[in-house]
Amino acid sequence: MNANNPYIPELATIIETFDETPDVKTFRVVLQDPAKMAAFRFEPGQVAQLSVFGTGESTFVICSPPTRMDYLQFSVMRVGELTHRLHTLKEGDPVGLRGPLGNHFPYQDMRGKDIVFVGGGLGLAPLRTLLLFMLDNRADYGAITLIYGGRTPEHLCFKDELKEWANRGDMRVELTVDNPNEGWQGRTGVVPAVLTDLGVRPDNAVAVTCGPPIMIRFTLEALGKLGFKDEQIVTTLERRMKCGIGLCGRCNIGEKFVCVDGPVFTQAQLAGLPQEF
Amino acid sequence: MVARHIKETELAAVAAAWARSYRVLAPVREGAAIVYRVFSEDMHPFLGRPPTSSAKEALLPQTENLFTYKYRKDQADLTRTEVFLSEALPPEPTLILGPRPCDARGRHLLDRVFLERGVVDPQYKAHRAATLFVSVACTSLQNTCFCHWTGGGMDDETGSDVLLHPLNGGFVAKAVTPAGEKLIAELPEATAQTLASLDERKAAAQTPDQAPEQTPDLKDIAGSFLAVFADLDFWTDQSARCLSCGVCTYLCPTCSCFNITDENQGMSGRRLRTWDTCMSALYTLEGSGHNPRGSRAHRLRNRVGHKFCYHPREFSEAATEPSGLEFSCTGCGRCIKSCPVAVDIRQIVLDVLDKAREKAAETAGAKGEEAK
Amino acid sequence: MASDPFATGAASRMETLRSKIAQELANVDFVLGYGRGFDPLHATPVTVRNEKDLDRLIFDATCVQNLATSLYGLRGKRLGVVVKGCDSRSIVQLLQERLWERENLVIFGLPCEGVLDLAKLRASMDIASVKEARVEGSPRDGLLRLKLAGDGGERVRDIETRGLLADKCLRCQHPNPLVYDHLIGPEIAPQGAEDDYADLAALEKLSTQERFDFWKRQMGRCIRCYACRNACPLCVCKHVCLADSREPHWLSAEATLQEKWLFQVMHALHLAGRCTECGECQRSCPMGIPILLLKRMMNRELKELFNYQAGVNLDAVPPLHTFLMEEDRIKDRGLLW
Repeated sequence: MNANNPYIPELATIIETFDETPDVKTFRVVLQDPAKMAAFRFEPGQVAQLSVFGTGESTFVICSPPTRMDYLQFSVMRVGELTHRLHTLKEGDPVGLRGPLGNHFPYQDMRGKDIVFVGGGLGLAPLRTLLLFMLDNRADYGAITLIYGGRTPEHLCFKDELKEWANRGDMRVELTVDNPNEGWQGRTGVVPAVLTDLGVRPDNAVAVTCGPPIMIRFTLEALGKLGFKDEQIVTTLERRMKCGIGLCGRCNIGEKFVCVDGPVFTQAQLAGLPQEF
Repeated sequence: MVARHIKETELAAVAAAWARSYRVLAPVREGAAIVYRVFSEDMHPFLGRPPTSSAKEALLPQTENLFTYKYRKDQADLTRTEVFLSEALPPEPTLILGPRPCDARGRHLLDRVFLERGVVDPQYKAHRAATLFVSVACTSLQNTCFCHWTGGGMDDETGSDVLLHPLNGGFVAKAVTPAGEKLIAELPEATAQTLASLDERKAAAQTPDQAPEQTPDLKDIAGSFLAVFADLDFWTDQSARCLSCGVCTYLCPTCSCFNITDENQGMSGRRLRTWDTCMSALYTLEGSGHNPRGSRAHRLRNRVGHKFCYHPREFSEAATEPSGLEFSCTGCGRCIKSCPVAVDIRQIVLDVLDKAREKAAETAGAKGEEAK
Repeated sequence: MASDPFATGAASRMETLRSKIAQELANVDFVLGYGRGFDPLHATPVTVRNEKDLDRLIFDATCVQNLATSLYGLRGKRLGVVVKGCDSRSIVQLLQERLWERENLVIFGLPCEGVLDLAKLRASMDIASVKEARVEGSPRDGLLRLKLAGDGGERVRDIETRGLLADKCLRCQHPNPLVYDHLIGPEIAPQGAEDDYADLAALEKLSTQERFDFWKRQMGRCIRCYACRNACPLCVCKHVCLADSREPHWLSAEATLQEKWLFQVMHALHLAGRCTECGECQRSCPMGIPILLLKRMMNRELKELFNYQAGVNLDAVPPLHTFLMEEDRIKDRGLLW
């Protein structure tokens, strides 16, 4: 964050871009000032605003972990004006970055516990930062399971890493798609069904989930049936944001602001808020 | 502090003297509206009625640059561009003449958001430091006024630097802050006789509207609001007439929501901060098409909730009489007076209290049944 | 029944309105009507869902809002709506453009002798001190009797209603609703003078520079709240308005004269041949900007070019919704391609 003016982004440069899916592209960026890049600190789950000057700004989770600081990674779905423009940028192009913003996953409270990641589509992005952070501190955590789904195999993000994680031997990866293609070797069906199928046990476990609203709804239901309490379920919220610092108003839920008090909430915290999602 | 006196006929000359050191914003009548314009010698400031617009434009302009940017092509490799940013210019010293105590109290509530909530907003802070409020005390309540519900009053000094008390075709000027004291130091002192008539006028001005029994008991409003939050039928009926325009929010002295957009011209442009309104569906519309406040019922609920529940809960330390709560509303009544369809936030607040009582009675009744 | 301060001679009409609405309640989701607002000079739209709500209904010279404005946002419902003569023209236009289905609308038409323009009253007094108000006689030539709160107790003030009528009433040719299911009360003769566009003529007498200065001053007050747009019964784009669009990016978010002006020009052009001059845009403007002038300018042109007036004939096709190979009033000067 610019120390004098939180609205002024740091200048950054895209050092690498590649396609994840037909509409998701990953950007790796570094701050132009090497000293600022070296001093940049964030926690897993925090977000940043990316600027394309002339088009605007949008909020994205920093999906690389704080344990790997060669670059900051963002994976962006092409949906609106800013993301369309962002998708046209290439390696070497300048962008602006404001961050880190918001709160983070309660990874300290998760130490010693079994972790169940439940993700859908680009919802894997925030889970990735926490997963990589945990893998880089593997001894601190119990069994790690990732249940991840997409519309088709093509729509799964981070495909190379999914393979790598499955082959590590110290975590379990279960992939599922709604519409399989030829050669698909994973499961078919929706994420919550896999959760139920696997009979994931709630004892000493935390579930971390992110994905489209409909997936979240049924995942919460499935986790509840498996015996997970609201305190054991962690999720991230998405809201339209502008300032990212709790001032512009639009991301409020009751008196909480998703950009400052979120985006990470336990299900217990969400249940205590006015229900306006 | 010494009270000073300004004759009505000398008001323009006093404003002209201030205009040598400040950009003076003064209210003028234009048709049926009373709007702030930058003071010039040929202008006649009108202080006889509350201005149509609130004074917040002095602290939070409708649009302002957050910064400007410029792209430059690398001459050696034209596929490469660099970008340069420049901070916005600091605000001019400004004096706003003619806010009412409800507007000045709005300044205090804007401070809550931009200076006290968490991150200090540097641009607001700069405007705040560069701006003086020379407010005008009220001598009567309009039928849309409800400052006494929110802890304000006709001569509340909160947020003012100088408060002008109208008296017999002139004003008794009382400084509230050291900056205000300095501003009026050159004006003639008010005589003991003038001050005595002012006290007399104030004593006589006690109208039935100000009697405490007129002020509803709002100490339970935050809880009541949460109790009726999920009753979407209630909010649908409350909002059925609402046009989703921005009149209420843009005229409000405390509404502070804003948008940030870029305006590009060729290789350069500006990032702007602009007033935004929570009454618009676009305010919360997400890229995916999802909208957490997609209907007027959701949006009106948010506006009422913000002012009478979320703000008092967020700033729960700020106990304010008469309710014991600080609202993000100063009771200026502009949202009522200027609403094209006469939506009355006072009535909504009272209906919320009624509805919550009704629900509590139902719950109690149901429990009673169970017990039997 | 709720007390109705304007009830003189109108009591039986209110009885009829309430009983007609009561008859139709079972056939509609709800009825849009007028209720008393926060003070005696303000009416506010109310929804009537049951017999109990009937008590809230009023109809008098304070019922300024055009309830047809709410219709488009309530598509898919079957509604009742209370209309004055002028409001019914908006409904004709909505039906012509197929923005609403006739069979899903029950129209309660009220012949109207005129409504008060509070801006005119506000120019001469502080209307917020009004405690009671009633019109004695017809709004066309009666008295507005106000009880005012003041320093020395209550005072009564009478003002001739003629000078307070909305401009549209002074030139009203359609006091009786043009489309209705229930006509409440006897039809009345139009008393408005034929529209001579004197307001436009006065403006056009000014030099270009003077007119430019006039609009600069007027538009300088605009706060871009879009009450004008949202109060317009025919401005149906609402939240997908070009004014809010980023792609294409017609208007910047800046509150400059240029942006404010461009929006008003867009609004006027999009209403050419559609605007019935109900005046809701101007009435809703908190800053009192005379934006109806722009729409009237378009309408005058439309009348000259196509001999057309919007919202008076259900079977007509708005001229800019169609074309003729040979227009009566547009000469192609015999030039060939």
